[in-house]
Amino acid sequence: MILFDRVTKVYPNQMVALSGLNLHIQPKEFVTIVGSSGAGKSTLIKLLTREEVHTSGKIIVGGLDYDTIKARDVPLVRRRIGVVFQDFKLLQNRRVGENVAFALEVSGARGREIKRAVPKMLQLVGLAQKEQNFPHELSGGERQRVAIARALIRQPKILIADEPTGNLDPKNAWEIIELLLKINRFGTTVLLTTHNKEIVNALKRRVITIQRGKIIKDEEQGRYTLEGGK
Amino acid sequence: MLQFWRVLTAGSRNFMRNMWLSTAATAVMTITLTIIIISFISNSALTSTIKGVTNKIDVSLYLKDTITTDQRDGFQHALESNPNVESVKYVSKDQALELYKQKNKDNPTLIQGLQFAGNPLPASFSVKAKDPKHLQGIIDVANQDQFKTLLDPTAPPSYSGQNKDTINRIVRVSNFFKSTGLVASVIFVVISTLIIFNTIRMAIFTRREEIEIMKLVGATKWFIRGPFIFEAALYGIVAAVIAVVLSYALLLGGAPKLASYIDVKSTIDFFRSYPLLVIFGELIIGICIGAFSSILAMSRYLKL
Repeated sequence: MILFDRVTKVYPNQMVALSGLNLHIQPKEFVTIVGSSGAGKSTLIKLLTREEVHTSGKIIVGGLDYDTIKARDVPLVRRRIGVVFQDFKLLQNRRVGENVAFALEVSGARGREIKRAVPKMLQLVGLAQKEQNFPHELSGGERQRVAIARALIRQPKILIADEPTGNLDPKNAWEIIELLLKINRFGTTVLLTTHNKEIVNALKRRVITIQRGKIIKDEEQGRYTLEGGK
Repeated sequence: MLQFWRVLTAGSRNFMRNMWLSTAATAVMTITLTIIIISFISNSALTSTIKGVTNKIDVSLYLKDTITTDQRDGFQHALESNPNVESVKYVSKDQALELYKQKNKDNPTLIQGLQFAGNPLPASFSVKAKDPKHLQGIIDVANQDQFKTLLDPTAPPSYSGQNKDTINRIVRVSNFFKSTGLVASVIFVVISTLIIFNTIRMAIFTRREEIEIMKLVGATKWFIRGPFIFEAALYGIVAAVIAVVLSYALLLGGAPKLASYIDVKSTIDFFRSYPLLVIFGELIIGICIGAFSSILAMSRYLKL
């Protein structure tokens, strides 16, 4: 599903973010990526969403070779991957339903299709009653659910969750992780980055540890082994 | 089509959301478009005024009382063969007296005096030129030896109707107004471009989070840029409508007062006959200014 072959990313200021990184993630896997700040996690995600372009090596996602992507195809690449962030990135002046619908609108879905899909998705993430609320009326956990619903509405094969629990209390954090596991059970490949030691250890799923742009550990049913995890 | 409609909806929503900024940008655009129409109106009115005035210029050649009919016909024929001559009208002594009496009918002493003096007025040719700027050729015909002797030596050829210097002054003044209108239009186009540029720049800044989200969910570049362009075009559309209404009100309301100074009739006729052309022209100008400014702002501040 995701293949990184000796991928290197050097930023214009000569900072090497990833150096010869090899990574292979199978379809329907649930993978957690851990690493201290500046280890290269964010760069890895930015390469996947094509916010950054790799300097060398090969990236293939869902059969698509990133070397062949033209600038105008980048939006299409992004529509194939759902992403959720620590800060939710919701449109504050739009209702929950509109936020979720937005992802379908940009890809040209018809109004009828949107009306049908949005309530279903909100039901899946447990927000069926909140469709008409604005984001500021929701708790942190609920906001993250909206973000997940938006990421999933186009039924991507891959969901990237970049520190999705960073702003949440433990109870809400767990609910979000459970939601991610549920989504994974439905067949979506989930890529999670987190600093939450407790979550990583409890998940008992594949854990990839990155340090200084390289993978230093890749274990099935791994554990959080870095210093300073929450 | 669906996407296009969504872009338009998003653009209108942004227009409404930034009501203050939109109002300011629309106001400046309205002033600009009104100035453009007024400049057009004054240009067209001044042109037709000048045309009307210069049409009145003719050259009067005063003839000796002793001239024979043959001589007169020969002279008239020579004048008519000049390529710059539009028409030659013979005014006899009696007609000249009649005209003089009519002109001075409020001055009975003058007319009474004439009765004692007999008819001192000479007969004349009133020559109308095709191009009033080049009257010298007509004078040259009259100055040929064979005709010069037929002219009344006490009354040299004159420009009747209006005085030539006055006409020249009118032409200069109206040219000044025409170029002032043009300069004002250009200045205001630049000002409104800058203001809309700034409005869109601020809009990009306040909506940077939204833009980021749009990118994130896979919006195409034109799906992101479109609303900004439409928002700016909307300033132009609203402004064009207001400017056209305003200009029509000014022109039709002010016409009776203006009519005594300049010739606004043909301009009013134009505005009455082609309202769609006027509004369409203004819409095009407004939309172009808006779209151009927003594209300029995005090329600098919206990196996708």
